[in-house]
Amino acid sequence: MVTQHPHAPLSLVVTQDRRAATDGDVARGMMMGDEWAIAETWRRFAPMVLRMAKRILGSQSEAEDVGQEVFYRVFRKAKLLREPDSLRSFVYACAMRSLKTELRRRKLRAWLHFDKPEVLACLGSRTLDVESRDLLRRFHGLLERLNARDRLVFVLRRMESMTVEEVAASMEISESTVKRSMTHASNRLSHWIAADPGLAGLLDGERWGQ
Amino acid sequence: MTKMSDEAKASRALATLTELYAESVEAATSAELDRGLDALLARAASGRTGRPGLVRWSLVGATVALSTLVALQVTSVVQKRMRALEPATLAYSIDGGSVLEGGYLRESGHAGINVLFNEGSKLALTPGTRGRLRTVDREGALVNIEHGTASFQVTPSNSRRWLIDVGPFLVTVKGTVFTVSWDPLREEFELRLKQGHVVVSGPVSAGEIALRTGQHLVVNLATSATVITEDKPGQESDSIAAPAQQSVATPAVQPPGAIEKPGGRSHAAVSVPARPTKAVDLLPWSDELARGHWDRILEDVERIGVETTLSKASSKDLFALADAARYRRRPDLARAALLAERQRFPDSPRSLDALYLLGRAEESREGGAVQALGWYDQYLARALGGPFVGEALGRKMILTDKLQGSAQARPIAEDYLRRFPKGSYAGSARALIRVQ
Repeated sequence: MVTQHPHAPLSLVVTQDRRAATDGDVARGMMMGDEWAIAETWRRFAPMVLRMAKRILGSQSEAEDVGQEVFYRVFRKAKLLREPDSLRSFVYACAMRSLKTELRRRKLRAWLHFDKPEVLACLGSRTLDVESRDLLRRFHGLLERLNARDRLVFVLRRMESMTVEEVAASMEISESTVKRSMTHASNRLSHWIAADPGLAGLLDGERWGQ
Repeated sequence: MTKMSDEAKASRALATLTELYAESVEAATSAELDRGLDALLARAASGRTGRPGLVRWSLVGATVALSTLVALQVTSVVQKRMRALEPATLAYSIDGGSVLEGGYLRESGHAGINVLFNEGSKLALTPGTRGRLRTVDREGALVNIEHGTASFQVTPSNSRRWLIDVGPFLVTVKGTVFTVSWDPLREEFELRLKQGHVVVSGPVSAGEIALRTGQHLVVNLATSATVITEDKPGQESDSIAAPAQQSVATPAVQPPGAIEKPGGRSHAAVSVPARPTKAVDLLPWSDELARGHWDRILEDVERIGVETTLSKASSKDLFALADAARYRRRPDLARAALLAERQRFPDSPRSLDALYLLGRAEESREGGAVQALGWYDQYLARALGGPFVGEALGRKMILTDKLQGSAQARPIAEDYLRRFPKGSYAGSARALIRVQ
């Protein structure tokens, strides 16, 4: 008698060097609930997800929380993955959904006045001086004013250097929507920068030698 | 033409800011990644399953409807209360100087500058220190210290945020008394915390550093050295009036070869062992530890002998050894050092901390989770308000979830969130409650 396990295909990943396993092997390991596969998924993609979350949320602690949500979701939904080789895209898509949810939740909290927005903790680089950090705090404040979709698109396109196609695939929206969001976000940010007296020095080019 | 030019400038500014913003975010450290993986595996191991879709969505629908009604009712009340509770804008007066454009503080004499805030906070700059009040409003204050030494006494407040930019470091403070200095030429940052808690962020390998009362942090960027020491009682005056000289600019780092002596802060509450033993002349392991030279500590132990070390090393060195052994995944040695600490220095504050660290050491041992849970329970029962209470509670929550299931862990998660809503384990606690 043959027993079928549609969500748990046979895999050779156990006998392979796990660090050398392909994304597909790792995904198949997760489908089977293997702990090493969860750890390997984290090792491969967590640095990327956490960095992206820090850029989008501007907060170390919130980025860590979202990181946990993303990978737990990946683990729970792994069995639904139709193409194990596309694990990277799957992780990106989960990250986008979690980040969008977090941004919306944050907007709601701010609207209800339950919580103050967290101050940007853009630290860690010895090359940043006081003036630069102050500029970044102001810029973070402007990013906070964008809606969730525009902000995600802007960060992915301009800071993560993703192509329009990659942004569209990750966020599960059309390419034209990505372009529209990008234009909208850039225009609004430029307008706000021009209107911010604290950024006037930057516009005058005094600081940046332009 | 002008409009085009303005648009081009704004566009260039946006590009510059975007680049700066992207580069300011550093990659996660290996410690952050390890901690995250631990939490993820613990969650995954609990093997929770979701509710059936229909039931879940019904519950979600009902909850949303109910929440909307409640939120509408509560919002107006909350907003009224928030408006009533909004703090008054901070105001200040200056003694010994004046404020120039841009918030720069200019000294009028040679006795330093004192800034007194209307809610009781004080700031004192030593002579020659260059400081700046960048922002002072109802939310709090942002102060820059470009070089020199400044002392702060910040009145505790939940509604105000005080941020101190010191060279490339940021000190986040709620209510505390401390002195901070920055020497741009030597690239040396120094903070002496007299009272309270602060968090220091900046270009240090360990990420954020949390300091507690009596600790003294020196970071030298040129030599990549980060040293935390504890002050002796009475070493520093509690007064924060502008000091006449930069007395705190000299680091109080333990000299090489020094061993812990009675009378130091860490020994203040230490009882003398029944059979006094002369501490062996070891290298300053706390300094080695702070520099990340764990292997040197372990090499010293090999050279001196484990038994000799455990029976003769000072309390401080035993602690440093325990940390080095944990970091190098030698849980048995860490455990032995911590047990020696508890046995030889039972009344020391470190003896209590050892309970928590024994839990950490057990956790890194195969099958040590049950023992770890026992150590955390002991620590939480005895160290009320101790420095590791949050961590111990968080670890207890994770282990309980792993060993006994989420139903048993839920009350711990709720307790954790109530006491540490922004703690390291808050995300895991919220997730645990949500999944239930």
